[in-house]
Amino acid sequence: MGSQDIEMMGSFEYCKEYKGIHILEPFYQVRELQTILRDKNTSRSDFKFYADRLIRLVIEESLNQLPFTDCKVITPTGATYNGLKYKSGNCGVSIVRSGEAMEQGLRDCCRSIRIGKILVESDADTHEAKVVYARFPEDISQRHVLLMYPIMSTGNTVSKAVNVLKEHGVKEECIILSNLFCTPQAVQTILDSYPKMKILTSEIHPVAPNHFGQKYFGTD
Amino acid sequence: MAAKINTLDPPSSASSESDILETQGDVSEVFIEGELEEERSGDFYNTPASPITVPYCPRPPSTGSQRSPRSRRQRTTSLNQSSKKSAAESMIRTQHRTIYTAGRPPWYNSEGQKVEPFVIGICGGSASGKTTVAEKIIESLGVPWVTLLSMDSFYKVLNEKQHEIADRNEYNFDHPDAFDFELLISTLQRLKEGRKVEVPIYNFVTHSRETRTKTMYGANVIIFEGILTFHHPKVNEILDMKIFVDTDADVRLARRLRRDINQRGRDLDGVLKQYTSMVQPSFNHYIAPLMSHADIIVPRGGENEVAIQLIVQHVQTQLQLRGLKLREELAQAYATNKQPRPDTVKLLPTTPQIRGLHTFIRNKDTPRDEFIFYSKRLIRLVIEYTLSLMTFIDKTVETPQGVFYHGNRMATGKICGVSILRAGETMEQAVYDVCKDIRIGKILIQTNLQTGEPELYYLRLPKDIKDFKVILMDATVATGAAAMMAIRVLLDHDVQESNILIVSLLMAESGVQSIAYAFPKVQIVTTAIDPEINDKFYVLPGIGNFGDRYFGTEPDYC
Repeated sequence: MGSQDIEMMGSFEYCKEYKGIHILEPFYQVRELQTILRDKNTSRSDFKFYADRLIRLVIEESLNQLPFTDCKVITPTGATYNGLKYKSGNCGVSIVRSGEAMEQGLRDCCRSIRIGKILVESDADTHEAKVVYARFPEDISQRHVLLMYPIMSTGNTVSKAVNVLKEHGVKEECIILSNLFCTPQAVQTILDSYPKMKILTSEIHPVAPNHFGQKYFGTD
Repeated sequence: MAAKINTLDPPSSASSESDILETQGDVSEVFIEGELEEERSGDFYNTPASPITVPYCPRPPSTGSQRSPRSRRQRTTSLNQSSKKSAAESMIRTQHRTIYTAGRPPWYNSEGQKVEPFVIGICGGSASGKTTVAEKIIESLGVPWVTLLSMDSFYKVLNEKQHEIADRNEYNFDHPDAFDFELLISTLQRLKEGRKVEVPIYNFVTHSRETRTKTMYGANVIIFEGILTFHHPKVNEILDMKIFVDTDADVRLARRLRRDINQRGRDLDGVLKQYTSMVQPSFNHYIAPLMSHADIIVPRGGENEVAIQLIVQHVQTQLQLRGLKLREELAQAYATNKQPRPDTVKLLPTTPQIRGLHTFIRNKDTPRDEFIFYSKRLIRLVIEYTLSLMTFIDKTVETPQGVFYHGNRMATGKICGVSILRAGETMEQAVYDVCKDIRIGKILIQTNLQTGEPELYYLRLPKDIKDFKVILMDATVATGAAAMMAIRVLLDHDVQESNILIVSLLMAESGVQSIAYAFPKVQIVTTAIDPEINDKFYVLPGIGNFGDRYFGTEPDYC
């Protein structure tokens, strides 16, 4: 395990070089959630419970990347509070199927946000990803897009999805990927191809917990 | 010769056992004194024996000889009702008004240190009117939180042999050896320290303590009454004021006779024998000499209005000297004493999201559904952050991918939430959402509109809360007065100070300072700290009244 630790640390440092990568602050309880999700002995109900918690944290953090403007409001005591207001014109896009696990978390934060979907299937032999289905809000080109995909190991799937979004006129700098676990390789693949994009993740680790979707939806 | 007794006091020492409910209706009573005098005189200076060696005469003495031991015993249990009635957190109804209806005002100063309650000891022979004196003091004092502790709760548990003796009514319950002074002293000491105590409930049928106990809390005034209150020097040290109720022996005997004969249908001889062989000797040998310890001797018991007024005045003066203007003091202390924020204060990183959420909930024009929605989001964030402050240890797990993963897990075993009603309740759901099966306690603290002081009304905490890490929740903290009261309550329940986290959405700088200064080990978690408090103790710029806005109970401003 020792060598893998070093490898992980090294890749972590390397990934931090990218401007577009944001890692959820590694609070202890975040690390606990990651541990539970990675543990093969975690029961399904626990898995879903803790996955939802981690998703909520990632979504909340992703929303920090959206644009806002300053604004002043009057409080009930008559005083002024210097706050800020998020700009409207955002939407979510989930990559079927595991990305859908994150939709509820987004709904819990933004009640009426529009959510599009992309289905990307990867060929079992060639690992080549192919977009099978895509459905977006009509004016998606004008919007900031929160792309949801929890596990990223090669980055191929997300790469395809971003391509589709760009084809629909979404600006690269308007795409934010919300992600739970990703590998250094995936970070590299995505940010080398799309340097203006932002990735928000909870952990960069050489081994991705690929069982996520199966365990979350209970199809293992 | 006839004497008139105006109030028939409900006795509470074990030697007198009439039921309060039975006696309270009667107001006056005429009886003949002369008849009793000669019967009593011969035994006047009998030396009472130790509890188990008294050969004859049933005890409790006022139980008549006409009843079976069983029914006698049953009636003695009614004593417990008198101690139940005196339990601190319940209401006491006197003839004129109800005591304890208001919440409990602060019992600690602005530094969070407890102010010692004033402890009054009332001693006197059985049926001397101790309880009447205590109740009249309570009534005249007008202090809402008074704890009335009776010595009856501290009778020793009898072993089988003693139990048999007691069944033959030969156990002397008026003897000092009949009391568990060790437990009594520790209980009284804890009450004086303002801590929670479990007062035993003595069962006079089984002569043992019942499994359940009566929970009492320290109060502003503690009254401790019993027949041998001043017997133990350590108890005398605890007492701030010692009152001896010196009612004429004739009157005391007359009260017992009246009670036992008229109400219980016992015969005169039996009652007198009990009285002369046990109660009266014990009084002369043990109780009467205690008069020398007293600060004040009250002749004629509860009838003595002048004496009671004097006592009340003295107690009030003493209470004023210890007086507490907590909120004001807290607000001022900060103004004169600005300090850097201590490191127990954990402020969430002020991300755009948090500011954005604050913008929604602070805006006075935000409709309630949005207010609820956005405050819930903010609450979730602060609760998640709170969990990150727990203790964690390393843990390595095996992953389905076949490699080991070095993670961690929470080492804090027991966590519970305690919400300060009403606004703190809004945070409970978030705690349930992040901690499976967590227990939640509640504390209701309301501001007294007249004094502006917080008052404690209600309390429900997990039973073994002392072992828990406690997430104490209140939506907003202004002066910190309510939060400090809640922390004080937890400390009084033996929760460790370092195990308490006070969590809120918004705090005022002064409240943060006050709490941190008073309780340096309590962790303070919040999403924003505002600089000021207005004269109504609202935070500026603030949120307004969070509870009113969340629950939709804000007054109309039309």
